[in-house]
Amino acid sequence: MSERFEYPQDREVYSAAKVKALESLLVEKGIITSETVDKVLNYFEKEMGPFNGAKLVAKAWVDPEFKARLLEDTPSAISEMNFPRGMAGAEGENMEAVENTPTVHNLIVCTLCSCYPWPILGLPPYWYKDPTFRARAIREPRKILQEFGLIFNDDVEIRVWDSSAQIRWFVIPERPAGTEGMSEAQLATLVTPESMMGSAKAKSPSSL
Amino acid sequence: MFTSFEQFAAASMVGSEDAPPRSNGELFFQRLWEGRAFGMAIALSKKGHYEWEEFRQELIASIAEWEAENYQDDPDWDYYERWLLALEKMVLEAKLLTRQELEERTAETSAQIGG
Repeated sequence: MSERFEYPQDREVYSAAKVKALESLLVEKGIITSETVDKVLNYFEKEMGPFNGAKLVAKAWVDPEFKARLLEDTPSAISEMNFPRGMAGAEGENMEAVENTPTVHNLIVCTLCSCYPWPILGLPPYWYKDPTFRARAIREPRKILQEFGLIFNDDVEIRVWDSSAQIRWFVIPERPAGTEGMSEAQLATLVTPESMMGSAKAKSPSSL
Repeated sequence: MFTSFEQFAAASMVGSEDAPPRSNGELFFQRLWEGRAFGMAIALSKKGHYEWEEFRQELIASIAEWEAENYQDDPDWDYYERWLLALEKMVLEAKLLTRQELEERTAETSAQIGG
């Protein structure tokens, strides 16, 4: 297909035109509606994604009682949130939160990425599924974390959790310094997917 | 068990070679048509016009075809171009559209866009 088009801009026009042609014909024939496509996209952009996890973490930062419930019974705490259906049920039911503190840092790895709790954490980065990464994270977590730019003193305990079909872990990162007085919504913007996997810290407010 | 088809579709691709580009945990579309192609492929399968696994296999084949013909890290690599090829194949195989009507409409639209 692409060899018929010598220049990238032709490829570009061709792809855009092909997609428009597909959608307009499928809609004319009543096979799909544009709203169906919008709805699918909306689902990924607004309903399921790392922004859900960020809300949980931000709420845990401002509400110690919620944090305690989140650590104690993660699925039930998640169900308190006004998330779309299916978050606390089916896929989220074996979720388990762990908390980073000045003395404990948690790192999540996973054997089967089909178990990755993406409605809360978002889609995992490519390196996450890499068997080498997983093996090294278990064998030498401090070194792996160092490569991510996270250096810990020896007195900080590093815990590595392996997500599986039974339990899907996520990390409540430490609340960054200088965030007193920030609203829950503002705090949520500091929480990245990586920070909920333990391969990064939450962003500092000065980085925004 | 999945409560929504979208969830099932995305979970099937997470961490495998056909996983879509993403940025900071979210799907990453560089151009408008990529999102439309993504949404259409899922919507058609959700409506039962083909099995999601069939689409995935077509996508994997389409990616493998590129890899066989090009160098690794070829800057011309375009994930959604492969996605679109797979989508087109599925639409034609399911006889939702004929090749002729699709080509005619593509040519018309292309003339409008390209000027």
